Amino acid sequence: MNKIDLILPLVQKPARYAGGEWNAVHKEWGSVEVRVAFAFPDVYEVGMSYLGLQILYGIVNGRPDALMERVFAPWPDMEGKMREHGIPLFTLESRRPVGDFDMLAFTLQYELSFSNLVNMLNLSGIPLRAAERDAGHPLVVAGGPCAFNPEPLADFIDLFVIGEGEESIGALLDAFLAARRRGLDRERFLLEASRLPGIYVPSLYRVKYREDGAVLAVSPAGAGVPDRVVKQVVRDMDQAHFPTRPVVPSTEVVHDRIMLEVMRGCTRGCRFCQAGVIYRPVREKNPETVLGQAAELVRNTGYEEISLVSLSTSDYTPVRRVITSLIDEHACRGVSVSLPSLRVDNFSVELAQEVQRVRRSSLTFAPEAGTQRLRDVINKGVAGEDLLAATGAAFRAGWRAVKLYFMIGLPTETYEDLDGIVQLARAVLEEGKKAGAPRGKLKVTVSASSFVPKAHTPFQWEAQVPLEELKERQAYLAARLKAPGIKFNWHDAGVSFLEAVFARGDRRLGAVLGEAFKLGCRFDGWTEHFHYQRWMEAFRLSGLDPAWYAGRSYHYDDVLPWDHIDAGVSRQFLAREHRQALAGRITPDCRTGSCPGCGLCPTLEIEPFYAGGETGVQV
Amino acid sequence: MSRYKLQYAKEGPARFISHLDLLRTIERSARRAGLPLVFSQGFNPHPKITFAAPLGVGVAGEAEWGEIELSGDIPEEEVAAAMAATLPEGLTVKAVGRIPEGAPSLMSRVDRGAYRCEAALAGSLPPGELEMAMRSFLGRGEIMIRRKSKAGVEKKVDIRPGILVMSARADDDIIRVEMELKTGSNGNVRVEEALGAFLAMSALPLQTGDFSLFRTGVYAGAGECREEL
Repeated sequence: MNKIDLILPLVQKPARYAGGEWNAVHKEWGSVEVRVAFAFPDVYEVGMSYLGLQILYGIVNGRPDALMERVFAPWPDMEGKMREHGIPLFTLESRRPVGDFDMLAFTLQYELSFSNLVNMLNLSGIPLRAAERDAGHPLVVAGGPCAFNPEPLADFIDLFVIGEGEESIGALLDAFLAARRRGLDRERFLLEASRLPGIYVPSLYRVKYREDGAVLAVSPAGAGVPDRVVKQVVRDMDQAHFPTRPVVPSTEVVHDRIMLEVMRGCTRGCRFCQAGVIYRPVREKNPETVLGQAAELVRNTGYEEISLVSLSTSDYTPVRRVITSLIDEHACRGVSVSLPSLRVDNFSVELAQEVQRVRRSSLTFAPEAGTQRLRDVINKGVAGEDLLAATGAAFRAGWRAVKLYFMIGLPTETYEDLDGIVQLARAVLEEGKKAGAPRGKLKVTVSASSFVPKAHTPFQWEAQVPLEELKERQAYLAARLKAPGIKFNWHDAGVSFLEAVFARGDRRLGAVLGEAFKLGCRFDGWTEHFHYQRWMEAFRLSGLDPAWYAGRSYHYDDVLPWDHIDAGVSRQFLAREHRQALAGRITPDCRTGSCPGCGLCPTLEIEPFYAGGETGVQV
Repeated sequence: MSRYKLQYAKEGPARFISHLDLLRTIERSARRAGLPLVFSQGFNPHPKITFAAPLGVGVAGEAEWGEIELSGDIPEEEVAAAMAATLPEGLTVKAVGRIPEGAPSLMSRVDRGAYRCEAALAGSLPPGELEMAMRSFLGRGEIMIRRKSKAGVEKKVDIRPGILVMSARADDDIIRVEMELKTGSNGNVRVEEALGAFLAMSALPLQTGDFSLFRTGVYAGAGECREEL
């Protein structure tokens, strides 16, 4: 019996590692010229819920000269067995060691997966640092939202892909193959790759530091290496590859349904939101494209649910028409439609009613802040009355449970804003009582995450509130949200602190990651595996102070560690937005036709695209 | 409305699909196949698919049985062909038959499962030793094992009455243990339990984890006789 088969019966959920799912692609190893292992640095159920994986898997496997296989972070029980039996990290499709591939491509969805990335390199037998690798090792590539501040991973990654991967992957593979045919060595290939649009080779940039430890300059160190790397974007969502034969997991995953992307980007301009900047501009798909892809997906996957995904699906212009058509066409086969997130307004409740005729689970709203003042600071265009009207409508429509998402520690937050959260929660509960929801069943869940300032946002210059203060604010809320019918959830502030360190960190943090790996840090996004003390030990061993990173507020003229990465939105715009925030002034949604002047369209030579039709815009 | 019984194998990567996940997998395969599933009424409608007997995660099934209800009257061969074309790797259709209206469910009829366990031996065993160990094992009046209830309470259970047939042989360096165990609502013994108890009482240098486990069939029947489902 093969060693892998021997250990699978001994671990939890072996289906995570078994492969063989419907639509998994098995290509003959020798039939292609370039082989890519796509790595998601978290467990299977999380990674398989990520649409980007399915998109890239479809694109690469669609090429006759290439193959892509999948690999996920083994859960600690599996890691233990693999190390015990000397089994290197392997892909699901061919079960080959990851080290045999030409390329190992990581996606970086959140900072707390960085330790898993380092661990996966180690489990693959690949030297952790790019500088220690040679021709015998796969090229280690990374992309995704966290690549917009790639610096903390600069030591570990040979090459970053900045922006939307479906735009860059083809050119990257072509360049790789051309370099091999020309007999270029690794170094020479990296130099040439660094000149490709959207490719960042960290080893070809030098970082200088100021005396106080801040970054002084990041500059190219090679002929033709660009000063700035500009993100790549899909120009036409109707023409872009969309995987209509996605892998269908045989075991339940987090998003176990058809994920049908209806648009990319979001026009709302919430000032804390990184996705709102890096996925600009808004590009909607035409309804015909969406409906055609839905029909293919239902046929090819057999899923019982179609989720219309995007950053803000109720903003998708033809949303109502598309939902109606999807229900008309697919309900008879037992296929339902769902929306992942709701805007705080009546229109969204009506949509939810339309799609959830049968299932009465809970509805989720994200007002983010407790007072109008603070909601104006973050540019969350939501009025308290809207929330009460929307939740009231939801209760009257039969929902019994409502979830409210808030952030604490937002810039300028005071205890008055926290009181505002408590008042809103109570007012929503009152709406439920007024609507006649039965006492025992009525439930308002309040979730509070801690604000993390992110690169490329108007709040990138802001400090995170100190850890102890975050904990005090959590306790303040917890004490005041003890009421029948209200439930309060909050996230570990230590995790948010670490996230803040890496979100705006520089490349010296590579040393911390190396130490943290040695100390056994893994799966930091999972409460049961997060060890705050080990991380503090890793910082101590590296001689770096995490609070210096998380608590740092920058001046507008400071060099930021990610300044050489260009998300297309101008620095002047971000600074203006930051000043507007502090003045409590809102900026209108760019969908309304008044351009806020973020600078993206001229920089990337692109325009937002709206699919037209009956308007769903309510701003 | 038509009731079909479906005999299938669950091998390779599919042997790691859990019972609940298999339900979803079959539902999705049936939908890909364009078969008109029948759904239960209520808030959370689910398709009418059941299995004769749950199979432990990791155990390969060579001839499992399931039941599926369809809203049309479709010839068995068509159902078989449609499912065969849409099942993921490791799941294969072996036969499709009809279940008459009003007949009891496969799940209520199932009474026993047949198993084969295989492991490689490092050296060879003295002739007759394995057979003797098995005779002595089966000769016990009771075979007590610990079993955890769903609530986590551990209790001791005598599995001897649930071991209907059991034998062991060694061919070269492969050891094979075969058994028929009580399966279903009138008593149930898991293959790992019977194998584990045997290994614990024998002096063989092997553990349950060294074995590949196969269920070769599930049957109805009572007493000595087994019947096909």
